Amino acid sequence: MVTKTEERELNQLENQVENGGGGVWEYLCLVRKLKVRRSELVLKHGLFILNDSGKRSALGPDEWTLYEQVAIAAMDCQSLAVAQNCIKVLQKKFPESKRVGKLEALLLEAKGMWEEAEKAYSILLEDNPLDQVIHKRKVAMAKAQGKPSLAIEHLNKYLEVFMADHDAWRELAEIYVSLQMYKQAAFCYEELILSNPTLPLYHLAYAEVLYTIGGHENLIAARKYYASTIDLTGGKSTRALFGICLCGSAIAQLSRGRNKEDKDVAAPELQSLAASALEKEYKQKAPAKLSLLSSALRSMKL
Amino acid sequence: MAEDLVLDTAIRDWVLIPLSVVMVLIGVLRYFVSKLMRSSPTPDAKMVKEGQVVIRARNLKAGANFIPPKSFRARRFYFSNEENGLLHVPKDQASNPQAQMFSDPNMAMDMMKKNLSMIIPQTLTFAWVNFFFSGFVAAKIPFPLTQRFRSMLQNGIDLSTVDVSYVSSRSWYFLNLFGLRGLFSLILGDENAIDDTQRMMQMGGFGFDASKSLSAEKDGLDIIQHEWALPRFEHRAESVLRKLVQ
Repeated sequence: MVTKTEERELNQLENQVENGGGGVWEYLCLVRKLKVRRSELVLKHGLFILNDSGKRSALGPDEWTLYEQVAIAAMDCQSLAVAQNCIKVLQKKFPESKRVGKLEALLLEAKGMWEEAEKAYSILLEDNPLDQVIHKRKVAMAKAQGKPSLAIEHLNKYLEVFMADHDAWRELAEIYVSLQMYKQAAFCYEELILSNPTLPLYHLAYAEVLYTIGGHENLIAARKYYASTIDLTGGKSTRALFGICLCGSAIAQLSRGRNKEDKDVAAPELQSLAASALEKEYKQKAPAKLSLLSSALRSMKL
Repeated sequence: MAEDLVLDTAIRDWVLIPLSVVMVLIGVLRYFVSKLMRSSPTPDAKMVKEGQVVIRARNLKAGANFIPPKSFRARRFYFSNEENGLLHVPKDQASNPQAQMFSDPNMAMDMMKKNLSMIIPQTLTFAWVNFFFSGFVAAKIPFPLTQRFRSMLQNGIDLSTVDVSYVSSRSWYFLNLFGLRGLFSLILGDENAIDDTQRMMQMGGFGFDASKSLSAEKDGLDIIQHEWALPRFEHRAESVLRKLVQ
């Protein structure tokens, strides 16, 4: 996670670098440290240092780190020739290195040579079967080839060992949602909520999945999670406000035939409050679209 | 009390300073030797998985009230059922680390290497100091100390009449041995400093028993009372919105 102060520092450095104020190496180091994706800038400025032999040798052993960084950035920008050159230099310096091997496999992947890349990765995996990066690359490759079910398979295998990796759970949840496998996605979102119970994003996503599955019980649960999202964001989440309204009307529709006691009585005002909060927000931020909102709310019988 | 001893400057030049310099050099040398011998630990899949299971079970315990009761029960069953739950350790399989250590030669090898790089130079330097410098009064501390410090500062001289502020050569060796850590962290970089005291402690508490932490987590999960927190959130959301609308 990048904190606010780190982000400010990064942007400041970026401005300085862009305007030719120096500090390029510091900027590249910071990008590396924060693991942010600024591939174009890294490629541009990194290459500038690498092409200048005086500056390059001034870095000492960090020169090779820079080669690696530029190679990855170049692949991200599809400048495959640059990447190839960087990797070649590294290969010459570290002929047996696994880290360079990873870069080579990555290059194969970037070129779209899936089978070769797959082979390279499996050779690397034989050496270290617990390499998280390679497992994740395999998932990414399956996704890039348009084989989400294969990606799911890889992810499941990965999560069997690294089951506390919530980024992987999130990826899995998103793939499941894209395949409309909502029950499985719901499980993943539960896992994400467990890993970080106060992050409203996960509550919101879980509520949406529950709402999509439908059914009386799920709708009520979805309404609860929309409510928790509202609480956690302080009512700032427009999506959750809409969700509350939708849930309310869906529950009302479903329980029309039933007797009144069966109805969920917790916080009965929530729906109307959400609607008025929405109206207020639209009035403030997009008055032109207020009529659209009120007609939508009317169709939900609010 | 004895009168002030006058220390020959030759002692400073030929005992005090060489001893310190040698200790520093040996420390640096040992750092490089241990760096050469260090084998990168290859994590074992089972151990990694156990660690991850523990983290996930802890998450479940901490966030239990944030997921619906049904989901919680399913997860608890998954973790702690008696047949194949992830946290369930069969009695006969509960391996003790000692046996594990002997069954895995790599582990024993690693330990040996670590100990060798620590013990051999230490015995050698100690023998060297003992042989050449035993019985010297090598330095004087510029402030008086109480009798308690005698065993620390005058190791190797059995004279009760010498003032405690004099330091014997063997004690100087020990002071250097334990006191040079700060200097090493300056020379070799912070995390590289070899810390003898820490290492000695590590040797005592060797072996992390995964099965113990697994069963502790299992007990923790078993006694959790699940109380879904979400119904409360509806009321809280209501009051949040009410404030917002007004």
